[in-house]
Amino acid sequence: MSSSDAERNRAFWDQRASSYQETHREHIGGPEPCWGIWQLPESELQVLGDVAGKDVLELGCGAAQWSILLAAQGARCIGFDNSERQLDHARAAGADFPLVHGSAESLPFPDGSFDLVFCDHGALTFADPHLVVPEVARVLRGGGLFAFSITGSLAWICWDDESDGVVPALQSDYFGLRRHEDSDGSVTFQLPVGEWIRTFRRSGLEVEALLEPRPPEDATTTYGYDLAWARRWPLEQIWKVRKP
Amino acid sequence: MSLSDHARHNREAWTGWAPEYAEWAPGAWTREFSWGVWRVPESELHALPDVAGKDVIELGCGTAYISAGLARLGARPVGVDITPAQLETARAMQEQFGLEFPLLEASAEDVPLPDASFDVAVSEYGASIWCDPYRWILEAARLLRPGGELVFLVNGTIFMLCAQEEEVPPGRELLRDYFGMHRFEWPDSDGIEFHLPYGEMIRLLRASGFEVENLIEIQAPEDAEPHGYAALPTPEWGRRWPAEEIWRARKTG
Repeated sequence: MSSSDAERNRAFWDQRASSYQETHREHIGGPEPCWGIWQLPESELQVLGDVAGKDVLELGCGAAQWSILLAAQGARCIGFDNSERQLDHARAAGADFPLVHGSAESLPFPDGSFDLVFCDHGALTFADPHLVVPEVARVLRGGGLFAFSITGSLAWICWDDESDGVVPALQSDYFGLRRHEDSDGSVTFQLPVGEWIRTFRRSGLEVEALLEPRPPEDATTTYGYDLAWARRWPLEQIWKVRKP
Repeated sequence: MSLSDHARHNREAWTGWAPEYAEWAPGAWTREFSWGVWRVPESELHALPDVAGKDVIELGCGTAYISAGLARLGARPVGVDITPAQLETARAMQEQFGLEFPLLEASAEDVPLPDASFDVAVSEYGASIWCDPYRWILEAARLLRPGGELVFLVNGTIFMLCAQEEEVPPGRELLRDYFGMHRFEWPDSDGIEFHLPYGEMIRLLRASGFEVENLIEIQAPEDAEPHGYAALPTPEWGRRWPAEEIWRARKTG
């Protein structure tokens, strides 16, 4: 079962997959795992820890750039995505591990299947966190880590439609932040910081860290964000939560 | 006891503000337990654990109206404050309302009480904004028993980014950087305040031995009344963005 939002985002990503991969291929296809808009190296942020020998689920893997690199480090990866066209790109990129098509609102895996569930601007952006977080808690093993990056809540409320970018002033409400219908046809999600914490706690997950990485002065991106803004305010959040 | 520079500074500032707070104290001592400038009742926010029969320390109690509310909820409070003039008001209120509990003159960064003596530590616009979090949160951890709860109210993070230098309410413009936020000094105020980014607060709580339980970002109620603090958000602002937030954490072990 998938919701109308999941269907809408599936259509969006099926239609967008090829142009997305073409636009960002070079930026997000480097030889080491990197996070997000500015491609900050995992070796510096140290979010995931040692993945060798672990069962790893990437939620919204796209062309599986991340999972391909983690598999090379010895992880047993599964790439999961809501768009079959994105998974075609993962196959073409040489992903030699299971690629599963579905919505993260309802994961087709038994309880306690993974040591690590993660995504980099993936399912936690394009599926309702109130549905995804309990599902992730269910498929994680005890002691397992859930880590994901999203666009920051402050960046959301400083988004200016007119200039199509972040500006140094509040533009929309923080209270009630949850679901946004973008003009590009996608539906995206974000929560206030406190609501993220409550969402994790309701699913029995412990909050281990909220990283708000500041990009370096010479950071670059193909995503069109303003580096000057991101040097002053948190454009991205990386949550790390653990199942006890 | 050696006081930090900002503690000395803030004691002086609060000595100056104490007469004004003495005038407000009887009202604060007698109303229903509520949080912050919008006076949202605890019965709606549920920020506190059950405090009945618990040993509770209030860090930066001022006129001790929060401790008085805790005592009425059945707690055994101890109020700690660095400013003698504020504690004088607190003692006068205790006498006036016949509600006694210990009051201690000390900085919340260095409390002369033994380890593990409390079940709950609370701060509302007290140590939570006037003390250095890198000091007072460690002190709170030391004072709490294993499983003890820490509940504290601070200014909203987004408000701190928009707070004006002058004594006027915030607008929408982000006036200062988020990265590196910690110590705040204002041209029109003698006080030195502190505020950390969300992620850094979580890191500090974890490093101090706490599990993060909740962050309640308080929305101004629809019928919120103007509060009389010139530099704090208007009710209209507070309907859209958090003027205040309450962290709740549990000491592990």
